[in-house]
Amino acid sequence: MDYLVLTLGIATVLFACGVLLTRDNLYASLYMSATLILIATIYTVYSLQSVFVLITFIFVGAIGIITIALAATYRFTPARKISIYWLIPIAIVTVILAYTYYLYSEQMGIVLIKEHSFASFPTEYLLVVVFLVSLMALLMLSAIRLVRGESS
Amino acid sequence: MIWFLLIVSAIVLFIGYLTAISSRDLIRLLISLELMFGSVFLALIPLFTSMPSSAFGVAVITIFTSSSELLILIIAIMLIDKKFRTISVDTISAGGDTID
Repeated sequence: MDYLVLTLGIATVLFACGVLLTRDNLYASLYMSATLILIATIYTVYSLQSVFVLITFIFVGAIGIITIALAATYRFTPARKISIYWLIPIAIVTVILAYTYYLYSEQMGIVLIKEHSFASFPTEYLLVVVFLVSLMALLMLSAIRLVRGESS
Repeated sequence: MIWFLLIVSAIVLFIGYLTAISSRDLIRLLISLELMFGSVFLALIPLFTSMPSSAFGVAVITIFTSSSELLILIIAIMLIDKKFRTISVDTISAGGDTID
């Protein structure tokens, strides 16, 4: 299992590098979708198939495909410019993350989850679903209002 | 293997950051945001070791809210293109609105 996770992790980093290095938006979106699918596949290694389904169907299947369609529509290679000032917060976050990983990485270990996570989720699951559906409806209504306001 | 997953998550996060600060159009910015959310999903795996039920709840909420946020961003990109006829990042440097 360790070799499988190692292989999937390395492939994830390589595909993510493809997003950074390619100059075409369409290929960048394709690399991004492949990266997300590989991340979802790592979940299945730890018997978390329900999260795999959620990430693949909702995040990649819906949002990723729309992004690919948008990237195919606006397919051009823009000029790049990296601001030095934006590299400063990235360096700060890097130091904080490295220190945190150094402190906590050796104290925990991953164990396989035997029971089915979806079935073991508490009964408040329906309440969470209602909240999430309400959130989606509110966001969609605000989007429709934006579009109508723009057209009028 | 937790250290490896966290390192991969951090690398993907920084690749997303670098893509975001080097992008000059909104599509590439959207792609970098999705990449950052992917790294968050990857960093969520260790939470399943101690609190699997809560971690699953956090994963569901994270996936739904990030998807909603990205969907709104996609609509905003389409509206900006409709209004300004460009999707350059420089167009929205002041928020995309004009104050009368």
